[in-house]
Amino acid sequence: MSRSKSNNDDINNSQNEENALWSIVGYLLSGLMIWGGIGWGLDRWLGTTYLVLVGMLLGAGSSIYLVWLRFGRD
Amino acid sequence: MGVRLASEDGFKPPSTADFELPPVFADNPFTTKPVFLVFFSVILISVFFILASRKAAIVPSKLQFAGESVYGFVRNDLARDVIGHEFMRFVPYLFTLFTFILTNNLFGIIPFLQFPTMSRVSFPYVLAMFTFVIFHYVAIKHKGLIAYLKEIMFMPGVPKPVYILLTPIEVATYFLVRPLTLSLRLFANMFAGHLLLLVFILGGEHLLQGVIGLKLVSPFAFAFGIALTFFEFMVQCLQAYIFTLLTALYIAGALADEH
Repeated sequence: MSRSKSNNDDINNSQNEENALWSIVGYLLSGLMIWGGIGWGLDRWLGTTYLVLVGMLLGAGSSIYLVWLRFGRD
Repeated sequence: MGVRLASEDGFKPPSTADFELPPVFADNPFTTKPVFLVFFSVILISVFFILASRKAAIVPSKLQFAGESVYGFVRNDLARDVIGHEFMRFVPYLFTLFTFILTNNLFGIIPFLQFPTMSRVSFPYVLAMFTFVIFHYVAIKHKGLIAYLKEIMFMPGVPKPVYILLTPIEVATYFLVRPLTLSLRLFANMFAGHLLLLVFILGGEHLLQGVIGLKLVSPFAFAFGIALTFFEFMVQCLQAYIFTLLTALYIAGALADEH
């Protein structure tokens, strides 16, 4: 990724993979939390029960998309 | 089972109440055991590293070797490999963080101390707050406030409507999930570990007071308690390492230029 101008590229590559691993977990977690939370709030507001599920699926989907954008494409 | 034991024999299973220790001086709520342990850890770390570095020799003594190993580990394996060429600025913080967390975690299995300070959640919260402030400060200093926020909120090369989905996730990751997971991971590991040791050791002690059949199984509980103590030692080192590693990773991310 971006810190590639170091003299030891091998270490940097493995570190980048490790970095990506931690970030991916964070993104998946916050995607579920934020959109699930918004869905839950809308459920409470509108008196429905299914929006929390819609929100969580939306959040999971978009966080996987985000992970692909950050780490998958070159 | 637990309930039946509790009603018949008066065995109290360990609970969260075991973590709420009374103040040592009754009129001052800030004089609890964890607070003393934190001060003790600071003294312990200072004394150890002052002694280890005072008579620095080319052929190091055992003490100097031990001190330099810890320092070398944090500087080379954590700071330099993760952060890259600007790493020296952050070594003091990372080194302090690592030794402080490690010492306080190890208090959980040191006889007579036997309480991991980080199982009280306020301590990890404060440490995560330091890391939070530092990596945001470094990023703002390095990239400028507007550019930094833009980098967080708007991934390049995405159709505009998709930002409605992605921006909240990015913002939540940087400002909420990172500090929360950092502190809760440390807290939960220390809390659960201490509880586990309490269950096996207090349980073994209670079995010893029962009828002969129970007395016979109590050594197994103690043996498990001892095995778990070694397991806890591993977890305590690992958690200190992970906290420091993630701090270094966040700082590295703050210094990295987007491509």
